[in-house]
Amino acid sequence: MLRNRVNYLGLATMLAVVGLWEALVRSGVVEFQFLPAPSAFGPRIGSLVSSGDLVPAFLHTLQVTLLGWVLASTIGIVLGLLLGLSETAWRYSMASIEVMRAIPPVSLVPVALLVFGFSIRMELTIIIFVSAWPVLVNTIDGVRGVRAELVDVARMLRLSGLTRIRKIVLPAAAPAIVVGLRLALSLSLVLAVVGEMIGNPSGLGDALVKAQQALQPEEMFAYVFVIGLLGVGLNAALRYASARLLPSLAAGGGGVTSP
Amino acid sequence: MTAPITAPASARAHRPARGRSFPPLRGLLPLGVLLGIWELTGSEGSPYFPPPSTWARGLNRLWEAGTLRPAIGETLVTFGLALVVATLLGAMLGIVVGALRKADRALGPSLEFARAMPPAAMVPIAALLIGYDEKMKVAVVTFAAIWPVLLNSRAGVRALDPVLLDTARSLHLSWFDTMRKLIAPALLPAVLLGVRVAAPVALVITLLVEILTRVGGLGALIALSQRNFLSGQVFGLILVAGLFSFVVNGLVAVLEGYTFRHRPR
Repeated sequence: MLRNRVNYLGLATMLAVVGLWEALVRSGVVEFQFLPAPSAFGPRIGSLVSSGDLVPAFLHTLQVTLLGWVLASTIGIVLGLLLGLSETAWRYSMASIEVMRAIPPVSLVPVALLVFGFSIRMELTIIIFVSAWPVLVNTIDGVRGVRAELVDVARMLRLSGLTRIRKIVLPAAAPAIVVGLRLALSLSLVLAVVGEMIGNPSGLGDALVKAQQALQPEEMFAYVFVIGLLGVGLNAALRYASARLLPSLAAGGGGVTSP
Repeated sequence: MTAPITAPASARAHRPARGRSFPPLRGLLPLGVLLGIWELTGSEGSPYFPPPSTWARGLNRLWEAGTLRPAIGETLVTFGLALVVATLLGAMLGIVVGALRKADRALGPSLEFARAMPPAAMVPIAALLIGYDEKMKVAVVTFAAIWPVLLNSRAGVRALDPVLLDTARSLHLSWFDTMRKLIAPALLPAVLLGVRVAAPVALVITLLVEILTRVGGLGALIALSQRNFLSGQVFGLILVAGLFSFVVNGLVAVLEGYTFRHRPR
């Protein structure tokens, strides 16, 4: 749910955690060779912005994440509607889907790398391949879960196929689909970062790996912080949008399974 | 930033449909046809899409070289350790934030931020801080797998029937007995539901860490095969990873069946 009250206690705890981190690193109680204090990597974000490194990387990751998510969602919803509505199609393909879905998606990243090399196509392919599953499966479940009475109503009103989908099936399946979309969005960001880390040499993931290889922990933490912010931002935006568009969905929160 | 970690409803939304049996087997037809066409038309030396028969040969080569078995073992250890740690930590944290509204409000934004962090981004940090070893792998996987357990435990505590506590009070049960006889059995299904969601996540992240860092396990083997353009081997290993996750899902389903039979009602 959207809560308008500011959670001061929560923000204070956050600040306290950051303060504690700072104090521990400064006083040398925690000794890691590569753990910078927040005061060391915080300003680094600013300098990365002014040096022109951060903004293009951020925009690249954001753009690829959203593009991949939209494509994956479209594929997932369309195929999901098809398989959810047609009993024959479902019967003759669902077992294949279940088997394919069991393959851990990240293990396909090397295949995408083999096939597409280091390119944005490779990044998009892995995003779509991974993020389409939750949308597809949730759409199928949602469509198949539409109450029989609703289907009868549609038949009684002699609604045409498309109208039936638009007016009856989609609204009834919407809660399940939204859950799938939410999972897919966090997966898209993860896979965009993964793709950039090992494949496509651009974006935040690539910048992060380069900072690590250059043994620049301040820069690395700055990028990780920005990636975290992007994750929180995307999640919040989708939550806001779904609460606005589907007020009947009381469910808040993001993907519980966000690998 | 100001919202709680999630509304409890999302825990329900993510509950996998229970009692859903495997769909009819004739649904395997498209996959079979696809693999058949692949086998017949694929060329032996294709660097991209080698036919299924080369997958088996690649696996066999790895098995005989003695690299496949230890790799499976390493993945299994990382996965298992991380899942246990994530379950214990997640349940404890979840119970605390579920029971204490104050703690929930205090920790909510921090947890929300940590949860939204893509696990992949944690890999370089963990590698620099901890080093390229088993501990680092377990740390990253735990970090990713803890959230489903935490959120479900929290929702479980919220949903506890106050009558349970009243019963304990009127029976004059000790704190320990209250925990053991009433609270723990009542919370167990919620925690296990979290584990059910966490297990596949843990497996995926284990492979991800291994692919990214090449520190042992199936993932490292896949990444190395890819680097050497042994595509038959890559596909064979993916198949092994798929079997692995099939077994994990099966075990989790058994666990789930057990929990729901012993659900206190």
